Amino acid sequence: MHQFLEAAIIGVGLGAQYALLALGFTLIFGILGVVNFAHGGFYMLGGYVAYTCVAGLGLAYPLAVVVAMLATAALGWLFELLLIEPLIDDHLATLMLSLGLYLIISTVVLAIFGPISMEFAFPVTGSFHAGSVYLPRENLIVLAVCLVAIACLWLVLFRTDLGRALRALADDRAVGMAQGLRPRLLFPLAFALATGLAGLTGALVTPILSLAPGVGEPVLATSFLTVILGGLGSLGGAALAAFIVGLVEAYTSVYFGGSIGALVLFVMVLLLLVFRPTGLLGRDVRGA
Amino acid sequence: MSLLEIDGLTIRYGGITALNGISIAVTEGETVLLVGANGAGKSSTINAIIGLVPAAGGRIVFDGKDLATVPCERRARLGIGFAPEGRRVFPRLSVTDNVLSGAFGLGRAHQKQALDWLCSVFPLLIERAKQPAGQLSGGQQQMVAIARAMCSFPRLLLLDEPFLGLAPVWIQQISAAIAQMKQRGTTVLMTEQMARPALKLATRGYVMRGGEVRRSGTVAEIREIALADEYL
Ligand SMILES: Nc1ncnc2c1ncn2[C@@H]1O[C@H](COP(=O)(O)OP(=O)(O)O)[C@@H](O)[C@H]1O
Ligand SMILES: [Mg+2]
Repeated sequence: MHQFLEAAIIGVGLGAQYALLALGFTLIFGILGVVNFAHGGFYMLGGYVAYTCVAGLGLAYPLAVVVAMLATAALGWLFELLLIEPLIDDHLATLMLSLGLYLIISTVVLAIFGPISMEFAFPVTGSFHAGSVYLPRENLIVLAVCLVAIACLWLVLFRTDLGRALRALADDRAVGMAQGLRPRLLFPLAFALATGLAGLTGALVTPILSLAPGVGEPVLATSFLTVILGGLGSLGGAALAAFIVGLVEAYTSVYFGGSIGALVLFVMVLLLLVFRPTGLLGRDVRGA
Repeated sequence: MSLLEIDGLTIRYGGITALNGISIAVTEGETVLLVGANGAGKSSTINAIIGLVPAAGGRIVFDGKDLATVPCERRARLGIGFAPEGRRVFPRLSVTDNVLSGAFGLGRAHQKQALDWLCSVFPLLIERAKQPAGQLSGGQQQMVAIARAMCSFPRLLLLDEPFLGLAPVWIQQISAAIAQMKQRGTTVLMTEQMARPALKLATRGYVMRGGEVRRSGTVAEIREIALADEYL
């Protein structure tokens, strides 16, 4: 029983991380129509910025996390404004640009930090006991921060003018512009929001998992998988799918061990695409 | 002086000339009707004013300002409201969010004032406030689209076939709402294929055909022409 509960908490923790990544990924796709191949790069960069702040500048870890989030948001903002925005309607061009940015981020990280993984440890250790259930404190902290971030994102998207404008542009860009919504102002902000969340996740999670060049690739793969599972462009679907993916990974690794989780997930997505091609909460977006 | 002055406007889609040098003027406070069959160029005219299609020639002057250098997303803030053909509400946004998206960045006080007034014109906006607009009927969506266009309190309201495909009961309700927009002092430029309900609202009109303005005149004159040409 305690194993079952532990796996549930671990799964929810993973789910919250995946949700932050997938929500950003689907935000960029749903609003801008851009597939951001650099998403994993922003995650990795968040980790390296936080590491540099702690190890190089001696900042406290929580402050380093904030700096990492702001830095990745700023880079996302600049990237969208200067490179994506002029080519926003050219899907192939934006795809190549984001892939190019990913390669640049990877190469710069490799050049500065080398190929080995960094000694970057979460500052809080130990674990929390409740009866026979045993949970690492670091996972609980990361889970709490991720949930707060998801709640903040929800508030921005559903309780502010900015969020409303972004959702309107996602539904019908031409009509949104005709109502006075300005993509040139709003799209860089949406991009920054998404990449800032990826950077935040990287800063929180890489000290627990690992920090090395290449940690971004599985992140991109998981984001893709989550977003397809949830339904392209659906925020609720991405969040739901993220927690499903997290729980599946946690339970398969606890009960079957190893990499069977990835297999289970791919089979799930495959079946879903056969029986419900729009994803869990996706729908025909042509509207009424 | 005219609030809106269109002079020799030409629009091409690839090789097709949709508008061939039309001239239209709308004075502050008027309600002007563009009437014409499908393909006459009514939507092209409206879309060119709001900036969704580029002009291949001619000038559009709003409130003394040439719109040639003003991109689409800045025209709304000059005081132009737009309810497109086919309504095109934001399907996944709630009714309230649809309406308020027409007042981005105008501040909470303006938004509240506008929403209160629009809710008094369209009680539907209260009843269906939280429902995704994509789930509404055509007539309801048209109301949302007009409310969205009015939420910034524009000086000029563009209505592209607001009665298209609607049952008489909806046409009546929407006509009453448009009359309230006029009472507020809003200048209206609207299009219709079927002129009858729209003529009740208009002060003046233009008859379009094949991308050209064929006739213009008072409501009575347009009614005569429309009768002869079977637009009624
Ligand atoms: N996006 C477009 N691409 C090509 N041709 C178009 C397009 N939009 C309109 N047209 C053509 O332009 C002409 C005028 O169309 P439109 O302005 O929609 O007329 P109306 O609104 O009076 O029905 C028509 O011949 C139509 O086929
Ligand atoms: Mg039309």
